[in-house]
Amino acid sequence: MKNIFYSVKRNSFILISALTIGGLASCSEDFLDVEPEGVGVGEDFFTTAEHARLAINSVYGNTREWNVIAFAHLAITTITSDNAAKGSVPGDAGFMDEYDNFTLTATEGQLNGYWNGQYQAINLTNQILTNVPLIDMDAAEKERILAEAKFFRAYHYFSLVRAFGGVPLRLSVPLPGEQEDPATLNIPRSSPEEVYAQIIKDLTEAAAVLPNRGATARGRATQGAALGMLAKVQLYQRNWQEVVNLANQVEGLGYNLVEDYYSIFRIAGEHNNESIFEIEAQTVPGNCPASNSQWAEVQGVRGQFGWGFVEPTEDLVNAYEEGDERLDATILFRGETTPEGDLINPNAPNPRYNQKAYVPSFVTNECGYAKDQNVRILRFAEVLLMRAEASNELGDTQQALADLNRVRERAGLDPIESATQEELRNLIWHERRVELALENGDRFFDLVRQGRAAEVLQAQGKQFQAGKNELMPIPQQQIILSNGTLTQNPGY
Amino acid sequence: MKRKFLLLVMCLLTFHLSFAQSTITVQGRVTDAETGQPLIGAGVVVQGTTTGAQTDADGNYTLSAPSDGTLTFNYLGYKATSVPINNRTSINVQMETDAATLQEVVVTGYGVQEKRDVTGSIASVKSEELVRQASQNPVSSLQGKVAGVTITNSGAPGASPQIRIRGAGSALGSTDPLYVVDGTFVNDLSFLNPADIESIEILKDASSAAIYGVRAANGVVLVTTKRGKAGESTVNYNGFVGVQRVTNQLDMTNAQEYATLVNEKLRIENPTANLIPTNLPSTDWYDQVLRTATIHNHQVSASGGSEKVTYMASAGYLNQEGIVKGDEYRRITARLQTDFQVSENIKVGYNGIFYDYQSDNIPSDIFYQAFVAPPIIPVFEPNGRYGDPANYPVGNFANPQASLDWFNQKSNGQRLTANAFGEVSFLDGFTFRTSLGLNYGIDEYRNYRSQDSLTSVQYASRSLLTQQRSKSNMWLWENTLTYDKTFGDHDLTVLLGTSAQEDKSNFFRGSVNDVEFNSEADLYLDLGDPETALIDAGGARGTFVSYFGRVNYSFLDRYLLTATLRYDASSNYPRNDRWEYFPSIGLGWRVSEENFMQNQAIFDNLKIRASWGRLGNNNIPANIYRLPVDRDPRLAAIYNGVLFPGANLREVVPATLFWEIVEEVDLGVEMGFLNNRLTVEADWYNKQTKDAIFGLTPLGFLGLGGQIRGNFADFRNRGLELIANWSDDLSTDFSYNIGVNFSRNRNEVTSIATENAAFYNGNLPVGGYQVSITRVGDPIGSFFGYEVDGIFQNEQEVEGSAQPNAVPGDFRFRDRDGNGIIDERDKTIIGNPNPGFTYGINTGFRFKSFDLQLDIQGVADVDIYNGNRNVRFGNENYDKDFYDNRWTGPGSTNSYPSAKLTGRNLDPSDYYVESGSYVRIRNLQLGYNLPSGVVNTLKMRNLRVYVNAQNPVTWFKYNGFSPEVSGAPISQGIDRNVYPLSATYNFGVNATF
Repeated sequence: MKNIFYSVKRNSFILISALTIGGLASCSEDFLDVEPEGVGVGEDFFTTAEHARLAINSVYGNTREWNVIAFAHLAITTITSDNAAKGSVPGDAGFMDEYDNFTLTATEGQLNGYWNGQYQAINLTNQILTNVPLIDMDAAEKERILAEAKFFRAYHYFSLVRAFGGVPLRLSVPLPGEQEDPATLNIPRSSPEEVYAQIIKDLTEAAAVLPNRGATARGRATQGAALGMLAKVQLYQRNWQEVVNLANQVEGLGYNLVEDYYSIFRIAGEHNNESIFEIEAQTVPGNCPASNSQWAEVQGVRGQFGWGFVEPTEDLVNAYEEGDERLDATILFRGETTPEGDLINPNAPNPRYNQKAYVPSFVTNECGYAKDQNVRILRFAEVLLMRAEASNELGDTQQALADLNRVRERAGLDPIESATQEELRNLIWHERRVELALENGDRFFDLVRQGRAAEVLQAQGKQFQAGKNELMPIPQQQIILSNGTLTQNPGY
Repeated sequence: MKRKFLLLVMCLLTFHLSFAQSTITVQGRVTDAETGQPLIGAGVVVQGTTTGAQTDADGNYTLSAPSDGTLTFNYLGYKATSVPINNRTSINVQMETDAATLQEVVVTGYGVQEKRDVTGSIASVKSEELVRQASQNPVSSLQGKVAGVTITNSGAPGASPQIRIRGAGSALGSTDPLYVVDGTFVNDLSFLNPADIESIEILKDASSAAIYGVRAANGVVLVTTKRGKAGESTVNYNGFVGVQRVTNQLDMTNAQEYATLVNEKLRIENPTANLIPTNLPSTDWYDQVLRTATIHNHQVSASGGSEKVTYMASAGYLNQEGIVKGDEYRRITARLQTDFQVSENIKVGYNGIFYDYQSDNIPSDIFYQAFVAPPIIPVFEPNGRYGDPANYPVGNFANPQASLDWFNQKSNGQRLTANAFGEVSFLDGFTFRTSLGLNYGIDEYRNYRSQDSLTSVQYASRSLLTQQRSKSNMWLWENTLTYDKTFGDHDLTVLLGTSAQEDKSNFFRGSVNDVEFNSEADLYLDLGDPETALIDAGGARGTFVSYFGRVNYSFLDRYLLTATLRYDASSNYPRNDRWEYFPSIGLGWRVSEENFMQNQAIFDNLKIRASWGRLGNNNIPANIYRLPVDRDPRLAAIYNGVLFPGANLREVVPATLFWEIVEEVDLGVEMGFLNNRLTVEADWYNKQTKDAIFGLTPLGFLGLGGQIRGNFADFRNRGLELIANWSDDLSTDFSYNIGVNFSRNRNEVTSIATENAAFYNGNLPVGGYQVSITRVGDPIGSFFGYEVDGIFQNEQEVEGSAQPNAVPGDFRFRDRDGNGIIDERDKTIIGNPNPGFTYGINTGFRFKSFDLQLDIQGVADVDIYNGNRNVRFGNENYDKDFYDNRWTGPGSTNSYPSAKLTGRNLDPSDYYVESGSYVRIRNLQLGYNLPSGVVNTLKMRNLRVYVNAQNPVTWFKYNGFSPEVSGAPISQGIDRNVYPLSATYNFGVNATF
């Protein structure tokens, strides 16, 4: 009897063992297919209209990024110029001195940040331009989203080509496995002409589709923005007639100067009748990650509001004519009391700060100082000055004087009655400086474009070398990553 | 009906059968044949069954056995003895020592093996060694104990140390080994009280670890917790109280020295700059934030049982303050374990470990803040406000005291790690075992930042409450079938098994403004302003399926073979590359057992072994082959003043991704001399990581958010391990033992997928510098930068140099390619953060009732990148060594720069690379066993008191707080203000009732 019992037991154990070991195999593949948790699958993205909307939103949101609009932007566009010195206290962010003094080398970290920041923005637009056309959605909305993406791709390439010269022209999205084929991936720099041609193409196509302001939400790109940006690009290309035509088109959209220059830069002055394009910044209660524009914070009065970078130079102060209302609106002097009633700390470490980055103390600072200050990228006043400059080059002195004087009169200055073409050119350049100082980072590139960067900047005691410092060095890290495919700019 | 009847008959028969043989209770005493001393914990088994017992503290045992059965007695280092019962109820046995057979048993994966039969490299650390340290993490206790295992400790209470077994086995992801606690896989051991551990085995070579296949690339740490033993119940109390304090506190400059440096810097940058006053009162920020901290720890355990049921229960409480004010960690651990001998051939049991911690946290960057805060800023201004950087024109530095006072964060967590098993023996030599492991844990924290204005840089206009809850759960089901049989001279053990596992984790975080805080009870997210509510959540899931098998075979006790094969699948890899085989083989030859060795007197033991194995690495980020959608809140757009969320694709995933494989060869020799008083073990290994997954920094113009991952490189760790132990009893009053271990490891990258490519990592926040490079021919994560070729002493030296923009007092970098320009091409390897040598010396002495233990441990041939000195944005504080040695003018020094640490002086250079070698007195303990008279009066069996100093002294030259700097292999050894280890002095009691 014992044997029977034993064999039953033995068989059942062998059976159980076999079942457990074998049973796992059958269902295991399903068990091993695991979806990523909580992030959504990229392969499923860009399949609905909502995805297209989310994606274009990301392009707008990205314009507030630190690398795109804060330290690197200010260093490359403004601290380099004769309008501003580094600011803050000596030693603080000492690398910013390298921009101020043109002792810059290719390993300076802000360069790489700026490069990556602009290209990250470009990738967001490329994703849309590659994927959204395939989405089944309302045709008008789709066209608008594609036009917005083109506008921003052009905007960011313009930032790159001004700073670095020709850059790799990347118009598609990285595909899986692309890193394994360096030949297609590792592309060289295109010429500045090729980059400009693409910018002009994108802006032209965008302008044909984008709605006029009023027909779209505040903060979105408009037809005026695309035309105005295109005018500026053509100005850099010295295509004077194009500039005039585009400026005329912008004017035809109903833009006009506002009366009070100071009000332009206050929160209440956002998107006024003069405003063509602004980077939207806002304190979103409870959502500090999205309240992330530091453009104004880094320029705020040190110790009182912000970090105190970008110190307006004495040369800029002296550039304003007697009675120019724009001086007080542009420069915040320590010890002054603002119209909003803030006493600027008389013991602040810097004598002057950028008033266009000033946000009154009654505005919330729950996510840090001045997170509500929009960055004014393009105003109608600049369009007038572009048309003035182009008209003067075309010999149309009347138009040039008319546009110049519209801007001067708003600033409380007497009109210019007459001038030679050469005089007028200098007057318009000067007007550009004082009208747009410390605002959108054009001054250094204006000087380069006007062919007088060495003359003007050397006079400021900067170690600017002609033939070298007109362009920033290509970030050394990018040259290394490209294994030398990216070439350095001359002199670096 | 017929069937039921049969069943009934069978049951009856079973009943009947159990009465067929008469069962009697046998008791007795097991003693040493030579000394007559009782043998404690000797095993007594009824032959042919799993029924058994173990002897108690007096060597006594009791068990039930068939009156005609045979008892087998086993004891470590003694010859096994079998005694027929022959109806006797009392059997005393004297056991003879068996010096030739080192019957030390080690735990291997899914089984145990006698050490003499092991063909791989397995280190074993027993409980006695673990409990004699004040370390609260069992891994931390291993520091200096095991050759080939490098442990980097952190001083933060409750933190898990970094452990590397035979160098870094993986580049990306975790380099942590697999932890297996009683068969259950866990991520770390912080939930375990060291006093609950019976032994820790470290499977170092690939053939030992290969049974764990895909999880084993970084080595395997097997933890066996204590189990109850049949016999008299015992109650143990272990406890200590002590204090902790920092050693080697870094000297920083005082206010006068600091102002001197800042003024020197200002003068160089601008000869007309306004200077700062040098007569301000001085703050030592380290003194301000650090303290002498207390620690106390108590553990009570009870164990015992009968031959049918054994149990062990324990409970422990730890309260440890951190050396930073406000840092505190409290831990409760509880464990219950029971084994049931259901019948002669069925055994079931479970083991549950519960862990609960509560901690008060400190800002994670407090050591950074204390390092950089200028000493001219006072803790408080005369008006009672915090010292405010706005009043001192040197930079926006946080006041560290204000940071500590303002920071209000508490965290807690609970974890249950449990395992239940059933085991059946059948036929002759077969055992089937099924086990289910569970690991369930919750971690929470809440942070409340009050509405306050402490300084001009530390303020909040609205309060903010943040709460996070993370949950993880894991189940693991394993089945093994073992066949164990001896045929004459052939010993054979065959194991077959399956394993299935699922890992899940997720977190939920929410924050909201304006919650009023009057008490802890107010901290609910719904009590704030709903307009400001923000949520964040995420998760991960992974599954595994495995089949495995192992053959252990020995012939004549001389020729040993171990072969394993594991077939693993992991959801972490793409479907078409998901399954992989992991084979291994180990061979051993016990030379000392050969006939020709019987006439020599040198070797008591001589064993040569060789092994090869293949392991996989699953410690890669989950779903890295899947494209995620980036939903960063910063991508939200604002239209008409309203926020609209944004999302987009910002990554690429590799087109193919396959297993990261480790292949390792190990050659070892084990020797015993002088009647095995001296044992020596040596191992050489070559561990190659193939197709290692690296993150490649993509070209910037691709515009990606992160790195591209792929199987981009191969690297290897090659090394040598030596262990020597000497133990001797000079008399019955005096005995001692000395153990020395030493290991050497060299890491080298052997190939990279793209020719001439290199991986740059180790980002420093200033200047975007990357100081770590991984490239062919050099160790992984080597430091990369300029060689400093002296200091420019004057303008003449600058002129005509390769650095025309330099000023006197700046570094002169070596123009290695001689082209007159200093750029990337002049950078070279300037240091190696992979430790070259690690060693430990562990000693124990016993004289009468006193015992003394002294452990020394160290690391040599390793570099640290002094990121504390290098990461400067402006006028951060300087350390005193810099002040004392800086360049002050022509001829002052040619090795330290001037105070102007800006611009290119902050480029990565060998100036910032320092030796990370250190020697430490790891543990010093003096114990005293109270005389038995006293102990008996107290109704105890044993009472020992001791004083202990842990980490009292560490010698090193590094200009930092601590030479123990951890980090991922590709960016390791960069010191960014680590939480330093502290010295602990304590008094403790071990009592047995």
